[in-house]
Amino acid sequence: MGLVARHLEANGIATVIMGCAKDIVERCGVPRFLFSDFPLGNSVGRPFDVESQRQTLELALQVLETAPAPRTTVQSPQRWNEDAAWKRDYNDLSKLSPEKIAERRAEFEVVRAVARSKRESV
Amino acid sequence: MSSFAAEYDVPIPYMQRTRDYYLALGYAAYRWAHFVDVPFTPLRKPLNRARLGLITTAAPFQPEAGDQGPGAPYNAAAKFYQTYSLSTESVPDLRISHVGYDRLHTSAKDINTYFPLARLREAVAAGRIGELAPRFHGAPTNRSHRETAERDLPELLRRCQDDAVDAVLLVPS
Repeated sequence: MGLVARHLEANGIATVIMGCAKDIVERCGVPRFLFSDFPLGNSVGRPFDVESQRQTLELALQVLETAPAPRTTVQSPQRWNEDAAWKRDYNDLSKLSPEKIAERRAEFEVVRAVARSKRESV
Repeated sequence: MSSFAAEYDVPIPYMQRTRDYYLALGYAAYRWAHFVDVPFTPLRKPLNRARLGLITTAAPFQPEAGDQGPGAPYNAAAKFYQTYSLSTESVPDLRISHVGYDRLHTSAKDINTYFPLARLREAVAAGRIGELAPRFHGAPTNRSHRETAERDLPELLRRCQDDAVDAVLLVPS
């Protein structure tokens, strides 16, 4: 998505990204970014919480309107959970035995093969 | 003064975690694209008179492509490799089983957490945004930077230009 924002912007269209992967979006280098420190999949706010989603969108619109320069990131003040322990779990290797790792690899090989055949059928 | 936060209470270092994970599984490290320079176009008219576009990475539900429901395992068969466009007047059934969202801590049960069309319509009705483009666009999540650059970027730009948008909101899932 960072590449898309950059391409639109280079061709005269203002953009703003809403997202949860701060390091990935900022590494790419994008004009405007509203970051929510939520689990991936919640770029627009909390599930079944219209007010959370409304506030998240409003912040993104303000970033679109007021960012003074590229690489502007604003972080939403909303918090997923008082306890931040959820942040330790994503791709956490420490919880995986060698057997489990072999299992994940076998699963990923299947995923890769499916993606490849789908891509080649386009 | 407020107390210090826990050591791990920072934005998740996804690149490091992903790199370590796939190295442990026996794969080479994925390289994320990055650039020194970043383009910038100011918003040229007030938002309440502007036409806003929307780009998503979510995928239209495909009946033949297996489990795409909330909490479904990663489903590569549900991926798409060509840009698609659908009416912003519609209520599309979009899913994110084809991307790596956090399946442990969230469920993708509420489309409004990754696709803000309903919230955008409210913002138009409230006069905050001038209008929405007649259609939104789906951007393929392709691991190949070359294919993204050569095929998807020009296509998305062309469609946004055809829509005569003043600005675009991009929402990765």
